[in-house]
Amino acid sequence: MLALLVFAGVQVVLAQTTITGTVTSSEDGKGIPGATVLVKGTTVGLTTDMNGQYSINVPANGRILQFSFVGMKTKEVTISNQTVINVVLDPDIMDIEGVVVTALGISRERKSLGYAVQDVGTEELSRTGNNSLLGALQGKVAGVEIKPSSGMPGASSQFQIRGARSFTGNNTPLYVVDGMPIASTPAFSTGNSVTGSDISNRAIDINPADIESIEVLKGQAAGALYGIRASNGVIIITTKSGKNNKVGRPVVSFSHTSSFDQVSRTPDYQTTYAQGTGGNYATSSSMSWGPKIVDLPDDPNHGGNNFGHPGMFRVPQRELAGLDPWVLPAVYNNWDDYFQTGYTMTNNINVSQASNEGNFSLGFSNTDQTGIALNTGMTRYNVRANAERNLNKNFTVGFAANYSTVNIDKLSGANDGSLTGVLAAPSSYNLAGTPYHRPGEPTRQIYYRGGSFDNPYWVPHNNTFNENTNRFFGNAFINYKTQIDESKSLNIRYQAGADTYTTHLQDIFGYGSRGNSRGVIDNYGSTNSIFNSLLTGTFDWKISDDFVFDLMLGNEINHENTKGYTESGQNFNFPGWNHIGNASVVTANESQWANRTVGTFGSASLSWRSTIFLNATGRNDVVSTMPRDNRTFFYPSVGASFVASELNALQEIDWLSFAKVRVSYAEVGQAGTFYENFFVSPTYAGGFWVGNPIQYPIGGISAYIPSYDLYDPNLEPQNTKSTEFGIDLKFFNNRFGIDYTFSKQNITNQIFPVPLAGSTGAGTLVMNGGSVTTDAHEVMLYVTPIQTKDFSWNINVNYTKLTNLVNELAPGVESIFLGGFVTPQVRAGIGNTYPVIYGVSFARDDNGNILVNDNPGAWNHGFPVIGEPDVIGEVSPDFILNGTTSFNYKSVSLSAVFEWKQGGQMYSGSNGLLDLYGMSAVTEDRESTFIYPGVKPDGTPNDIVRGGINDPRAVEQLYANVLSNVDEYYIHDNSFVKLREVALRYKLPKNIYKTATAGISLYARNILVWSALRNLDPETSQGNTNMGGSFERFSMPQTTSYGFTIDVTF
Amino acid sequence: MRKIKNVLILGLLILTTFSCSEDVMDDINKNVNDPTDVASNLIISDVLTRTAFTITGSDLAFYSSVYIEHNVGVWNQSYNAEIRSGEPTSATTYNNSWNSLYRNLADLKLIINKCSEGGSEEGNYYTLGIAQALNAYTLAILTDLMGDVPWTEALQPGVIFTPKLDKQEALYTQILQNVDDAIENLGKTSVFPSLGAQDFIYNGNKERWLKFAYGLKARYTMRLSHKSPAYADVITYANQSFTSAAEECKYKYNASTTYSPFYRFFTDRDYFGASQSLANKLNERNDPRADIFWKVHPAGSELEFAPNGNPVQVQGRYAISALSVATAPTFLLSYHEIEFLKAEAYVRLNDLTAAETALKNGISAAFQKVNIGLTAEDAETYFNDEVLAKFNADPLKEVMNQKYIAFFEEEAIEAYNDYRRLKAMGNNVITLENPLNNTQFPVRFTYGASDVTTNENVRSAYGDGTYVYSENVWWAGGSR
Repeated sequence: MLALLVFAGVQVVLAQTTITGTVTSSEDGKGIPGATVLVKGTTVGLTTDMNGQYSINVPANGRILQFSFVGMKTKEVTISNQTVINVVLDPDIMDIEGVVVTALGISRERKSLGYAVQDVGTEELSRTGNNSLLGALQGKVAGVEIKPSSGMPGASSQFQIRGARSFTGNNTPLYVVDGMPIASTPAFSTGNSVTGSDISNRAIDINPADIESIEVLKGQAAGALYGIRASNGVIIITTKSGKNNKVGRPVVSFSHTSSFDQVSRTPDYQTTYAQGTGGNYATSSSMSWGPKIVDLPDDPNHGGNNFGHPGMFRVPQRELAGLDPWVLPAVYNNWDDYFQTGYTMTNNINVSQASNEGNFSLGFSNTDQTGIALNTGMTRYNVRANAERNLNKNFTVGFAANYSTVNIDKLSGANDGSLTGVLAAPSSYNLAGTPYHRPGEPTRQIYYRGGSFDNPYWVPHNNTFNENTNRFFGNAFINYKTQIDESKSLNIRYQAGADTYTTHLQDIFGYGSRGNSRGVIDNYGSTNSIFNSLLTGTFDWKISDDFVFDLMLGNEINHENTKGYTESGQNFNFPGWNHIGNASVVTANESQWANRTVGTFGSASLSWRSTIFLNATGRNDVVSTMPRDNRTFFYPSVGASFVASELNALQEIDWLSFAKVRVSYAEVGQAGTFYENFFVSPTYAGGFWVGNPIQYPIGGISAYIPSYDLYDPNLEPQNTKSTEFGIDLKFFNNRFGIDYTFSKQNITNQIFPVPLAGSTGAGTLVMNGGSVTTDAHEVMLYVTPIQTKDFSWNINVNYTKLTNLVNELAPGVESIFLGGFVTPQVRAGIGNTYPVIYGVSFARDDNGNILVNDNPGAWNHGFPVIGEPDVIGEVSPDFILNGTTSFNYKSVSLSAVFEWKQGGQMYSGSNGLLDLYGMSAVTEDRESTFIYPGVKPDGTPNDIVRGGINDPRAVEQLYANVLSNVDEYYIHDNSFVKLREVALRYKLPKNIYKTATAGISLYARNILVWSALRNLDPETSQGNTNMGGSFERFSMPQTTSYGFTIDVTF
Repeated sequence: MRKIKNVLILGLLILTTFSCSEDVMDDINKNVNDPTDVASNLIISDVLTRTAFTITGSDLAFYSSVYIEHNVGVWNQSYNAEIRSGEPTSATTYNNSWNSLYRNLADLKLIINKCSEGGSEEGNYYTLGIAQALNAYTLAILTDLMGDVPWTEALQPGVIFTPKLDKQEALYTQILQNVDDAIENLGKTSVFPSLGAQDFIYNGNKERWLKFAYGLKARYTMRLSHKSPAYADVITYANQSFTSAAEECKYKYNASTTYSPFYRFFTDRDYFGASQSLANKLNERNDPRADIFWKVHPAGSELEFAPNGNPVQVQGRYAISALSVATAPTFLLSYHEIEFLKAEAYVRLNDLTAAETALKNGISAAFQKVNIGLTAEDAETYFNDEVLAKFNADPLKEVMNQKYIAFFEEEAIEAYNDYRRLKAMGNNVITLENPLNNTQFPVRFTYGASDVTTNENVRSAYGDGTYVYSENVWWAGGSR
């Protein structure tokens, strides 16, 4: 519409009639200046004046006047013999008549859909310059939970639509970019997620700035046409193209984003007590249960008052570094000293053009990020091209191509935690100011503590955790379109695409690393290629004025090849060269996998008077990864929508703008992985062992044994039966709208490796077993409280409440391990929501009160009794409420995205450690008396007073010897409120040069407003698997970002 | 245009048919990375390694070592075992070993089937015999430590999910049958080549395996002495077994790709301190091994022994074993054990002269173990100066104490078995000093958690785990 403005002022000589009038807004009744008035079917048009008035000369062939204005619904008036035409334009708040792209690229009127879809536009995605697609989506879609693992560059995120369907397998939606399904899951799992570093999702390859729009198909009915791959929902991404440009001049747009990242939260530390245990200064202790820092000079062994250095104390680590060991007591915040301000720069440039024959778009962008932790960062380049050309009136051809290269430098977490020392170094120790290695011996660390953790300042120079990925994906298509007769049209499209990436990962603990004294190196990677062939034929038939019938048939072949490799080396021969060529024991392996899915599908829909819509789909999939003769599955879906507001009776009600009821049912499967049972080379890791105590080949001799993991030849596909019901209502000229969806998923025959009794001689059997039900309520609310010519205020709110319940597991199976340790661990358990945290609990009485020891004289008198392992936390939240609000005043807009997650729990290993080590602020008061809340064995409330001047070790004993052994103590409520995004944008009202327009935005991201979790950002966790978001242990912290974007279009 | 459409539709049909036929899909889903079958010689190599490192050498030995006071648990799980807190009754404690035992038995079953009638290597008698001997050996460790365990219904994954328990008496019939079958098969001639280098222990020498089988027969016959004493048989079988340490069944580690489990337990965990009660036994005898068994902890300052049952939970303070070197072998069956078996049998038959000779041979072999390094002369001197008098005073006690000392530290499981058998027979000849033993000496090991959580038969036998303090195994006078 805006494009039509250029036609304003074009006058045609052969004017016959002059029509005048005023264009006003229904909002305030005032005239709209600058509205477009066009004689339809001609190039005659103009814009209204300051008062909304116009006067136009209509040529003889002019039949219809079209009135339009940005943000208002276009109105057409037929010219008969009036000379004055006044029109009132209504605001166009919601794109209710919009057309959405549904499964397999089928365009449908939104109102015809029997299921929920939600779209996110480019503006919403790129408003705050987030370089991660999943980060940019956070808080903007109902029914979706996105759990980022950390603030590390390229950190993985867990993305689930309407909960989980698979215990140990994939719950990530299918990504479809420009019609081509692409990979989005990590190339490698983080496994138990208690060692090593995070591994990114392959969604990181997508640059959010390249995206024009995203449609989220939430339910199984919406995605049913994608067959087995769509059980987790579908994300349909359309990249920017020249399609929406006005025909003519090429358009060049450029944007630059700078973002400054800071650690989002600093733990509250105690600053009174020094390193040590039992009230004594211990120079290599990991704990801070020592004397008061101010009393260090009095220490009998290291205090300067006794050794001729009054007021000072001795730090042996400084001696190792060749420095004067005597220093004055001081308090250090080792956390703040360590973290730096990260900087991210993103530049995007895009050239696009549309002509009558077609259109094209070219894009180039780069992102360069330096993390908040030393030696972390990400560099990404994206190149993108797409074009379409109309060959004649029937044929159109086109292609879309994307290339990306991503390099990520990471750090390790949990038991390999790179930053454990940063988190919990004693306040009395100057971690930043003490050298981290001995003079002249860079591999010999100096550190404040013992154990296997490396000095965080030594890590960047000696350990490496790197990912390097190159990727191409794209497709080409040919489309044939013909009008068979007045009422029937046929469209046939064939598309072939490819998605291929190669990723190389490297994990090195260098020579001198404390967990592996001579170092360990793991080089591994994979090349993954997907070929996709898609043929669809669509037949549209307008049977009568009342009935429209559409039929679609198609075939899809999806073939994937993967080749992986590993090279593992141990014990470098000499320091300074951390390379596989320097390892004294080297093992290597290679693997190749392939899978293919062939689908044949069809969809039929019938509509009556734009009021009743019926739709049915069916898809037959043949899947290679299932056992022979068990590979073919058929999945149906049906849906109906009834647009009540189209009924004459309801059209009379002027406060009701739109009303629709929708219902759908679908069945979608998920295939498992089946192989003929095979033999493996034995490994001896695990149990008491660090690394591999036995490594084949032994003296050149290899051995092979039957795999401990077996496959059931009768494996059947997992099945999800989903029912969805919804109502969409809009009121008061669409100023207020509400969409409600209830969905129920029954997931049966879950496929997972069922743990077997050891006496069967095998460990797991991949078989069917288990069922889950998920009830989801989603509410979307749209309000436009204020809408005037210059000012508008919009609010969109999404509410999601999910209940994801494990009803049943295979016979004899009580739980399934998802990650963590023996205790605590994240697991799926019968009768629990999915997933839960399992670990050592507090002993409790029948009323659930914590029991305390009543054993006068014992060290643990009055302290909690340690109980049995049990379910100690439920991960899934009670509800998630998020939304966007925006204020627009002329050229200025202010918008904010907030998210409130209520309920759900997580395991916070870092918080537990801070208490155990005596570094958290809760351990600051070691002199007051206290009574631990609980009951005595006789049921009476605990009244045993501990602590105080005569019981000086009580606080230490409580935290270091009791609570640190109770996993339940590490469980925290994970509720939080975050301001995900705040953005202020100013678009220059005048062109800066000829046609060039410009804008500037200032923004902030991830501002933690409130969190039930203490000390840490609640969105910090371990693992890129289904345990994600629930288990934290010395994980990388989250970041808060501030930045600006400048964009220019000409 | 119609032609194009026809071609397209035809092409689609062809593509669909040929892109997803079962044969094509089978080919796509073929696992090219792992073999679906291998010959028995490639399987048995790892059975040997796992038997030595995981089953005989690791967790079961570490916990036996604590209970039998070869070592004192001073940290974490070993400390908990020392103070009888949690670990002895928990189903997770021995779970890894439980699974490894059954995995060993599953692999042996596969080898035995391959080499038996109708199998792909029918007539491969040597491998068959070795597998049968190892089956007896593995099953015996399993039932010696855990009592009644699944066997006849075990090892059928995907067919029987909850195997029932077999009685230990029946299992011992099976064990002795296995040994007899092994002896028979190892006596045959076979056209199949010897295992050669795939045999990490004997390099394919079937005569040695035959001696191993006879040695096992001696050991297990002695084991049943409380139920059915047959000391003359023990001597007969032992005489057909090893005649020198060169023939004994031990797995050696190369300290590059393989490491001795007790050595790794120290480097990876550091959970043990030197046992006071064991030191006492050596000091009573002025045993020269007292200077060899232990050393100061690298982080410690003096040779401090940990009090049994009551150590401070601390690392880096107490002395540690000096025998836990990277190459310390794991003995499946040692030559000195054979001599000690004979010595005990002769004592029981009251042939003290023969007993004395066997005892002397046993001590001499134990003195010359690779990580002890004393000589035959040292043993001779020691025997004459210290042992003989004690032997004359109480032959059984000295034989069993010498065997107990000789078993330090790799043969802890067998020391634990002997102790329980002697107690059952009323021979309280080995003195343990953990004060908790009055009420909490574990007379058996718990079942593995993988069965306790998924197999109701094992779960009900396990109960709450406290049966380990009260229920002897069958051969030690118990009912299960």
